[in-house]
Amino acid sequence: MSLAIELKSITKRFGSFVANEDVNLAVESGKIHAIIGENGAGKTTLMNVLFGLLQPDEGEIWIDGEKKSLPNPAAAIAAGIGMVHQHFKLVPSLTVAENVFLGMEIRKGGLIDHAAQIKKTAELSKQFGLQVDPNERVGLLSVGIEQRIEILKVLARGARIIILDEPTAVLTPQESRELFQTLRGFVAQGMTVIFISHHLEEVMEVSDNVSVLRLGKNVASRPTAELTKSDLVQLMVGRLVSFDRLPRTPTAGKTMLEVEDLWCRDDRQLQALRGVSFGVRAGEIVGIAGVAGNGQTELAEVLSGLRPSSHGAIRLDGRAITGLTARDIRAAGVGHVPGDRLVRGVDRNASIAQNILMGRQDKSPWSKHGIIDRGYLQEQTQTLIKRFDIRAQGPQSTAKSLSGGNIQKIVLAREFTGGGNCLLIDQPTRGVDIGAQEQIHGEIMRQRDAGKAILVISVQLDELIRLADRILVMFGGTIMGEISGDRVDEEEIGMLMAGVIPEPRSNTVGAA
Amino acid sequence: MSDRFDSFFGQALAILFALGLGALVILTVDESPMRVLVTLLNGAFGSPERIAGTLLQTTPILICGIAACISFRAGLFNIGIEGQLFMGGFWATWVGFSFNLPPALHLLLAMAAAVFAGMAWIAIPAFFRARYKTNEVVSTILANYVAILITSYLTINWFKRSGGQSETPPIFESAYLPELFSFSRLNWGLIIGLALALAVHFFFTRTSRGYAISEMGANPKFAEYGGIDIKKQTFLVLIASGAVGGMAGGVEALGVHHRFMEGFAPGFGFDGVIAALLANGNPIGTIFTALFFGALRSGSLLLEVDTTASREIITVIQALIILAVSAQITIRRKASDSTAGERRWKF
Ligand SMILES: Nc1ncnc2c1ncn2[C@@H]1O[C@H](COP(=O)(O)OP(=O)(O)OP(=O)(O)O)[C@@H](O)[C@H]1O
Ligand SMILES: [Mg+2]
Repeated sequence: MSLAIELKSITKRFGSFVANEDVNLAVESGKIHAIIGENGAGKTTLMNVLFGLLQPDEGEIWIDGEKKSLPNPAAAIAAGIGMVHQHFKLVPSLTVAENVFLGMEIRKGGLIDHAAQIKKTAELSKQFGLQVDPNERVGLLSVGIEQRIEILKVLARGARIIILDEPTAVLTPQESRELFQTLRGFVAQGMTVIFISHHLEEVMEVSDNVSVLRLGKNVASRPTAELTKSDLVQLMVGRLVSFDRLPRTPTAGKTMLEVEDLWCRDDRQLQALRGVSFGVRAGEIVGIAGVAGNGQTELAEVLSGLRPSSHGAIRLDGRAITGLTARDIRAAGVGHVPGDRLVRGVDRNASIAQNILMGRQDKSPWSKHGIIDRGYLQEQTQTLIKRFDIRAQGPQSTAKSLSGGNIQKIVLAREFTGGGNCLLIDQPTRGVDIGAQEQIHGEIMRQRDAGKAILVISVQLDELIRLADRILVMFGGTIMGEISGDRVDEEEIGMLMAGVIPEPRSNTVGAA
Repeated sequence: MSDRFDSFFGQALAILFALGLGALVILTVDESPMRVLVTLLNGAFGSPERIAGTLLQTTPILICGIAACISFRAGLFNIGIEGQLFMGGFWATWVGFSFNLPPALHLLLAMAAAVFAGMAWIAIPAFFRARYKTNEVVSTILANYVAILITSYLTINWFKRSGGQSETPPIFESAYLPELFSFSRLNWGLIIGLALALAVHFFFTRTSRGYAISEMGANPKFAEYGGIDIKKQTFLVLIASGAVGGMAGGVEALGVHHRFMEGFAPGFGFDGVIAALLANGNPIGTIFTALFFGALRSGSLLLEVDTTASREIITVIQALIILAVSAQITIRRKASDSTAGERRWKF
C-alpha cells in the first residue's frame, strides 16, 4: 500500500480561529477517498492547504513519499495535484477547448494553436469518458457539463491526484452517477481521487476510504466497508439523526397561493413553464420534484417577481399578484430562498448583519426615520446566528469567510423570519450537512405549523418525502402528476420525472 | 477588515511605485528628483498662502470626487462630472450677474441654479441608463464635450462682457461665496466639500437608503431579489451625483472666479473621478486623495520657476499613478476569488 498523500499534523488558523487542528490524513494511491464533516468543519480549508491556496501554520505535506512545500497552486499542480472547486471558474464567452487550456495555451509560432487545443481536448474527453463538444461556448452549458470542463482542465494539467470539493451538490442524481463512473475510471487508471460530500449514500457507494472531520480535527479515517451510514452520522455530528418522514398533524387551511395556467421563458428565451397550475394552502408544504432544469427554478423566480410570466395568473390570499415587482411581492408576504445562493442570496463581501438586513432596511425597528438602528441589527443578527446555528465568528464576519453550508443558513435565517404567509424555498439544504439539514427541516416544519403556505423545490427526493404534504412532479415545464407525501411510490415518481405518465390522467392538477 | 487594509496598503504601494517611475522620468530631463520633490512640497505647503492655495485647488477636486463616489458606490460610473461642473458654473454665474438680490438669498439661488444645472445635465444619460441600460460611461463622457461647447457658445455669443475677452460679466457681490481668510481666495467651498464628504459617508454607512444603494452596487441581483427598485435608484443616484457635480461648478464660479469664462475649470472633474477611484469610492478617503492632487497642482506652479523641469511632469506623474493603481487593483481582483458580488467600482 503506497500513500499518494500524507498530511502530518496540519494546523491552519484564521486569526484566533482554528480551522484545522493537528490533522493527520493518509490517502492511499489508486483509491477514492471521501472527506465528510459538518459545515465549517474545515474540509475546504484542508483541501486548500493541500492545493497550495492556503499556507498551513504547522505541519507537513508529503506527496508520493516526498516532503513538499506548496507555496502556491502552481507548485501543487507541478506535484501532480488538481482541484475542482465548489464554485466553478470558467469564462462564459470562451469555448470549451479555450477554457480547458486557459493560462497554458498551446502555441505555434507565438499564436494560439486552436486546432491542437481542440484535438487535445477531444482526446482527453475520449480517454476519460467526459463527453463535451470542444467548440461549444461555455456560456449556455449546464452545470453538469461545466463540471466536466473543470475536470478536463485539471486533467490537461497532468494531475494524478484529483480533489473535488462537493462535486455533487449542484448535480442531478443522473449527473452524479455519471460523475462516479468517471471517478472509478480515474482510479482504474491508477489515479487518486479525494472528494468532499454531504451525501452519505454517495460516500458509501463510491469511496474506498473515508475521513471524518469534526471541529477542525480528523476524528476517524477508515475503510468505508467497515462503516454504516449511521456510523458516519454518529462520527460527524456525535448523535443519531433520523431520515424518516417528519410526523405531522393536518393543519391545512384555506388556499393561500394559487397558480393558474402559468407560462414563462428561460434566459435563452425557450419556453420554461408551459401551463402550470396548482395551489398551496396555509399550513401545507407542497414539494416540487423533478430532474433539475425542468422549469422548477423558473417557477420560483416567476412566483417571486424576478422573472416575467408570459401568460397565466398568480394569486396570494385571493389577491392577484401576477406581474408585480419583486419588491411588491415581498411586501405582500412572500419569502424566497433562491436556488443559487451566491448569485442572488447574499452579498459575499458584506457582513452577516448586512445580509440579514436585506429587504427589511426600511422597516421599523430595523430602521427609524431612514437611519439604521445598528444596535438592534447587531442584536437580532446575534439571535439568528444562535437560532440557525450559523458557525461564524460574529455578526461582522463577511459572508465569504463562512463555509458553504453556513452561507445557506444566512439566507434561510433571513427569509424565515421576514413575516408574511408564504415561503418559496428552492433547494433548502443544498450544500448543508446532515445535522444542519435536520435543523432546517425542523425549522421548515415549524413554519408550516405556524400556518405558512410553503413551496419546496428540491432535486433530492428523500428531502421531499421527509417534508412535503403533497409532491408535484415537474417535467418539461409542466406538472406531470401529484402524489401524496405519505404514500410515495418512488417508481411512480421516477416515471413522472422522466415524463412518462403511469396511467391515463390529466396533465395538470387543478388548484386545490 | 483585512481586505480594507490590503486595499489601502496596495494603493499606497502603487502610488510609491508611480512616484519612483516619475523620479526616473525627471532624471531623463537632467533634473534631480529630490529637488523636484522639495520644490513641489515647498510650493504646496511652504507658507500659509501656499497651503491656502493648495486647499483652493483641492476644493473643486474634492467636490467632484464626492460626486463620483456617489455613483461608484451604486456600481455606476458618472464620468461626466466635468460637464456638470461647467453647466453648474455657467448657470450659477448667470443668476449671479442677471439679478440683483439680497445677499444670502442671491447666493442661495445661484447655488440652487448650479445644482439644478448639474442634475439637468445628467438627466438624459441617467434616464437611458435606468430605463434601457445604456452605458453611462460613454453617454456621460460625450455629454462633457457638449457641455463645454454649449457654455462657451453661450458665453461668447450671448453673454460676453462688453469689451472683455470670452468671459461673462462679473457676478454681483451679493452672490459671492464668502472667503475664509483675507490673504487668499480660499472660501466656504472647502467647508461645503468637507461637509458633503461627511454627509455622504453617513448616508452610505448609516441610512437604509444608503444601504440599499450600496448593495445595488455590490451585487445588483441580490438587491433586485431583496426588493430594491433598481431602475428608480439608478436614476436617482445619477441625478444626485450630477447635482454635486453642478455644485462644484457653482463653488468655483461663486467662490473663486466670480464670472464664467472659457476654460473655466481645467480638468477638475476628471481629477475628482480619479481621486474617488484611488479612495475606492470612500468619501472620507477622497478628502485625502483630493488633497494629494490639489497639492500636486499647486506645487507644480513653483516647479517651472525653481527648476528646469516643466509643469507637464506633474501630468506624467498623475498618469503613472493612474496606471499603477489600476494595475494594482486588477492584480488584486485576479488574486481574490471574484465570483458574483464583486464590487464593480473596484475596477
Ligand atoms: N478566509 C477565512 N477567514 C476567516 N475564517 C475562515 C476563512 N475561510 C474559512 N474560514 C472559517 O473556517 C471554518 C472552516 O471552513 P471550511 O470552508 O473549511 O468549511 P467546510 O468544512 O468546507 O464547510 P462546508 O461543508 O459548509 O463547505 C469555517 O468556520 C469558516 O468560517
Ligand atoms: Mg466547503
